Amino acid sequence: MVNVLLRYLNLVVVTLFILSLLSFLLAYLFPGQAVENLTGLRLDELSTLQNNQLKYAIDDNVFVQYWYYMGELFAGNWGVSFSSGLPLYEDIGHYLPASIELSAYALFLSFFIGLPLGFLAALQHHKLTDYGLLSVSLLGYSIPVFWLALIMILGFSLQLGWFPLSGRLSLIFEIPSITGFILVDILLSDSIDKQSALIDALRHLILPTLSIAIVTTTLILRITRRSVIETLNSEFILAAYARGLTPRQVLMRHGVRNALIPIWPLLAMQFPTLLTNAMIVESIFSWPGIGNWLIQAIYQQDYPAIRAGMLAVSVLVVIFTMSIDLTIRLTDPRRRRVGRAAI
Amino acid sequence: MPQSSLYQEEHHPSPLQYTWLEFKNNHIAVAGLFCFVFFLTITIFCPLLAPFDPNVQQIGDLLIPPAWDPNGGISHLFGTDALGRDLLSRIIYGCRMTFGISLLLVLVAMLLGVGLGGVAGMSRGFRSSFLNHTLDSIQAIPTLLIAIIIIAILGPGLVNSMWAIALALIPQFVHQTRDFVRHELSKEYIMAAKLDGASNTHIFFHSILPNMGEMLVVQATLALSVSILDISALGFLKLGAQAPSSELGAMLLEGIEVAYIAPWIIALPGGALFLMMISINLVGDGLRSALRNRLLH
Repeated sequence: MVNVLLRYLNLVVVTLFILSLLSFLLAYLFPGQAVENLTGLRLDELSTLQNNQLKYAIDDNVFVQYWYYMGELFAGNWGVSFSSGLPLYEDIGHYLPASIELSAYALFLSFFIGLPLGFLAALQHHKLTDYGLLSVSLLGYSIPVFWLALIMILGFSLQLGWFPLSGRLSLIFEIPSITGFILVDILLSDSIDKQSALIDALRHLILPTLSIAIVTTTLILRITRRSVIETLNSEFILAAYARGLTPRQVLMRHGVRNALIPIWPLLAMQFPTLLTNAMIVESIFSWPGIGNWLIQAIYQQDYPAIRAGMLAVSVLVVIFTMSIDLTIRLTDPRRRRVGRAAI
Repeated sequence: MPQSSLYQEEHHPSPLQYTWLEFKNNHIAVAGLFCFVFFLTITIFCPLLAPFDPNVQQIGDLLIPPAWDPNGGISHLFGTDALGRDLLSRIIYGCRMTFGISLLLVLVAMLLGVGLGGVAGMSRGFRSSFLNHTLDSIQAIPTLLIAIIIIAILGPGLVNSMWAIALALIPQFVHQTRDFVRHELSKEYIMAAKLDGASNTHIFFHSILPNMGEMLVVQATLALSVSILDISALGFLKLGAQAPSSELGAMLLEGIEVAYIAPWIIALPGGALFLMMISINLVGDGLRSALRNRLLH
């Protein structure tokens, strides 16, 4: 147990070290001066820049610079954006929760639809239901996310007018940002029309969530189906039947739990994909998330913003996948033998 | 299988024939294969097939609906876009760009990935564990995210996005190859080759590589679908192919401006992309289940 924890801690620290080093080196890889890319200040803001030059020890060698860079990073001093001049740490803190919120809802939605359907398909293996679900899932994961989102906008927003076209919340509501998650913020706020704000936020959420969730749902369906089929073919299931259990008992007592174990890590691997899809969908629905922000930063060649945004997203992905992996290792005795941890 | 046996001779199909027999039984997958061949034909012969030049603007024919619409004409089968360019020709050229470039990228990534994976699989000790470690951490990150990071460094553009996607595809091939090589190395025919005094390179090229073909084809179909999605997504996000080019994602982006009055400009290129993805996924799925069923026999 302690051994596993230490191994994972080691892995996390090493990976985070590599990521931070990469983000530091990006400042040198991008065009322009490194100190400009690190701080986001232009050369004409001379006096502040000189202070920062001292702070980042730009005249010293690269290793000393990296040390100071890490110091500033932990102090929450990530520099400012070239284009807006706003501090990046606050900016990312504002935009990242919106993306996480969108991905999390999509993930939950696809769980609730994908898992039961996967079980259904596996139990009806080689029957009409199975083939039907399999064909639908093939269509689902072949669809390009951005096209799906556009079709949804065309259909539901423009033709039918059921859902709003873009954004996160109608401008008539003024909700102070406390946690950054819009639904939580609305519940926490003491606004007069809490209910109508909540309904409005949900209406804004439906289309982006659906367009991300459809792809993930079909993937989860397939993963679940394969895992359940393989579990039901194993020998302990046969042994359970031999002991005279009914099919229902076999499934409930032995099937479900053993089938779910190999599913979890694969599902955890869906989160980065989900986040990437969310980044595309955000820019279509003008959702104020990190993807939209990052892509704008690339258009405007806002190097400090790209550097900080990349670091934030990759750290999030790494920590998420690692922690899921750790939970699996600690709960599933069969995986203890595996010597090397994989993220 | 139904075979008239005039003679007492028993017929044993080779593994490749077995795979094909299994694959043939799956009619939907065969339909996917035909679709795949159709796209391949378009990619190769597109200058002969396209009725118009994809970038010539006919000022008199703006936003003509497709032929099946009452207002449409037969000269522009899929209609024209907001600049008067023939949509059918643009889609044909777009398929060539998206499909052809993806195919090229997958081949490049496969060559490099198999080379690196072979080295990682055959070697022991520090070199192998270092490679494994870095690869595992890269594999968890989706290719599109890696591609966006690389484009952020290189700057937007079609060539840069091609570099980015090729680089992002390599880790998967390395990972698969390495696992496969590791698995094969523990088998007895490799031991036999070793006892005959074969060197590591000889074992890799003469014993392991011939067995890897099918795994590579399956992996290549997966990579192809990822690569098509990525290149069109990058085109759509204005990070890959830029506006006048007829890349399918970039075409979709152009179509947004007139989507309300001319929905076919979005629907048709997207539909082509969708069909392409379906055919590739069908072939990949069919191949995978054929291989799985073959092993069961």
